[in-house]
Amino acid sequence: MDYEELRAFKEIEQKKIMTYQDWNTFHNQLMSRTVNIAVEKYQEEQGTLPASFAFFVMGSAARCEQSVITDQDHGIIYDGEVEKEPFLLLGKEIAVGLEYIGYPMCDGKVMASEPLWTNSIDGWHRQVKEWLEESSWESLRHFSTFFDSRVLVGNADFLSQIKQVAFLYLKRNPSTYMRLVDNVGFIRKSIGIFGQLLPERSGRRTGSIHLKTAAFFPYVNAIRLLALLNNCDQHSTTSRIAELKGTYPFLEEYEELFKQLLQFRFNHTKNNTDYDDVHYLSVHTLTKSEKQELKEYMKKGAQLFEIVKKEIKKECSIWE
Amino acid sequence: MEMVLMDNLWVIIGTFLVLLMIGGFILLEAGSTRMKNAGHIAGKTIFTIGIGSLVFWAVGYGFIYGEGNAFIGLSNFFYGDASFSEEGLSPAVDFMFQMMFALIALTIAFGGFAERAKLSAYVVFAVLFSAFVYPVVAHWIWGGGWLADHGKQDFAGSTVVHLTGAMAALAATIILKPRIGKYNKDGSSNELAGHNQVYTALAVLLLWVGWFGFNGASTFGLSDAFFGYVILNTQLAAAAGAIAAMFLVWALTGKADVPTTLNGALAGLVAITASCGFVEPWAAVLIGAIGGLIVYGSMRFFDRARIDDPIFALSVHGTVGVWGTISTGFFATEALSVGMDWGLPGLFYNGGFEQLGVQILGVVASGVYAFIVSFIILKVMDKVMGGIRVTEEEEIIGLDLSEHGSYGYPENIPHPTEREAK
Repeated sequence: MDYEELRAFKEIEQKKIMTYQDWNTFHNQLMSRTVNIAVEKYQEEQGTLPASFAFFVMGSAARCEQSVITDQDHGIIYDGEVEKEPFLLLGKEIAVGLEYIGYPMCDGKVMASEPLWTNSIDGWHRQVKEWLEESSWESLRHFSTFFDSRVLVGNADFLSQIKQVAFLYLKRNPSTYMRLVDNVGFIRKSIGIFGQLLPERSGRRTGSIHLKTAAFFPYVNAIRLLALLNNCDQHSTTSRIAELKGTYPFLEEYEELFKQLLQFRFNHTKNNTDYDDVHYLSVHTLTKSEKQELKEYMKKGAQLFEIVKKEIKKECSIWE
Repeated sequence: MEMVLMDNLWVIIGTFLVLLMIGGFILLEAGSTRMKNAGHIAGKTIFTIGIGSLVFWAVGYGFIYGEGNAFIGLSNFFYGDASFSEEGLSPAVDFMFQMMFALIALTIAFGGFAERAKLSAYVVFAVLFSAFVYPVVAHWIWGGGWLADHGKQDFAGSTVVHLTGAMAALAATIILKPRIGKYNKDGSSNELAGHNQVYTALAVLLLWVGWFGFNGASTFGLSDAFFGYVILNTQLAAAAGAIAAMFLVWALTGKADVPTTLNGALAGLVAITASCGFVEPWAAVLIGAIGGLIVYGSMRFFDRARIDDPIFALSVHGTVGVWGTISTGFFATEALSVGMDWGLPGLFYNGGFEQLGVQILGVVASGVYAFIVSFIILKVMDKVMGGIRVTEEEEIIGLDLSEHGSYGYPENIPHPTEREAK
């Protein structure tokens, strides 16, 4: 199968999908096949790669929380101190392939074709440590992006090893937890004091809510922070909650809400064809009860973030 | 004698303060529009007040205060009187103070022209508005015209200055149509944000101070130091307007939008302009606060109606001008109306609906006149001058370069290198 056949397969199959879980399984299949095609193509043209590697995805793809259309976020970990160039070339091939299949390139250049996101195992160890030591706004953003990751093709141990380095550093430097909390502390306000939704007020998106920042981020960020605090190596928000709820029973309530939110987004955006549109939900298209539902997701998300913030503060104060 | 001279001195100080408000309007308009039009906006304000001054001297003052009929004055053209009597203001001082109000009304009207009108349209409309629009309304209310006979209350010009200017601005915005890029095909509007909120904030402060002359010197004297009371009411209304607008926009959108807050302060000032000499301080707070609330609603209304008002002149001076004028019909006290021999008390002071009715009549008549005459003038100009709007290319380049050949911010355009210059 080549890229063209894969794209044709996608066009036909995607219409049959009815749940967000199936969409994510479908995305997974498509991306894995694309990577395998890219590796074959690379090896045909450039020869064998100099070392074994793991190709990993980040962001919503890693968390299995992708919307109908999603952009690319990925990187490569290779074994041994060999030249980086062949893996960057492979990364480029994969990015071009994914774009052809229907995954837009990442505006922020979080892609294996970029030197920052392709490294040897030791290189990644150093990189993650550097990000955490620097603790600047940008370096911690990079770290958070990296931490939401999952190996799609290759040896999953490579990535697990690197995450262990992060857990170890954070345990020795607990003040960094609070820096990570501050790093994602801004929650876009989307409910007014009268309980009304606050959609965009000008431009092409007038009347729409940015679902990703207003509804999803508080859940995703809060649970990632708890995962970091508890050395939880799970990659999705729901699997993280499943592992953590023994320690934090209050998470039970949010687990169900988050799953409902994923399905809610899928139901309302499944017919979108433009990547820029997929994160926006027009308030006018919602019924009264759907508006209430959306408000509940957003309120509870903000509430969860506050609870997690207090938990982390409390635990950090014990260690200090 | 000394008191009379002091009265004259006070009013001429007020004149200077009101003239400085033009500086406020320059900053307000420049800050509220885009960089590429900043030099144009500032420069045209200076030369149009030059035109307005000469027209007011030639015919404007005569149409307002000359001997005539209930509709218009018909004497005192090309005014110049060096006389001084031992009572009241000297004619020249009075003339200068009155001229400032005409210039403010003209500047408000040009808010509706912003970022898309030809320079020649400013020149011609400055002449015609200063001769045929503003003086007529001013005569009706301040010059002994038919609304003055009804006891219409407008202490310093909510109707005469602000509403009249805003109605001309409305006519202009309708004829000129929205700026390129303001509205999308699906009807949604884009925010063409002004380039400098600091200018806009300083503008509001400058206008606020100038308003002490605008309202305070409208007492025309110092006796009883009543001007202090008028200025107190002015201050309270402006403060309440700013707070109310900021609270409302924050409550409705989740953001304490700066331009809306600034417009709230201006709305408080516009609203209290008619009533500052008639109402109690608590009412001034309420009048200003309501002004601040309705200015935001009005901004949203015009935006949705696809009427592009870059400086918010229609909302700040028009909608709030109407509210300010009507407010005396509710809040004018007996002592400050009947006691001053100017109209009747308002509805909340046992005055019944009579004064309220007069105020509404005044607003409707003045607003309709100013709008229709301005609309006709601008339509005729549009036909005769081959359009009053610049071409699409000129608008995109910006009026600094297309109309004046130089840029308000020259550092932002490419300069020849030293070698090329040699």
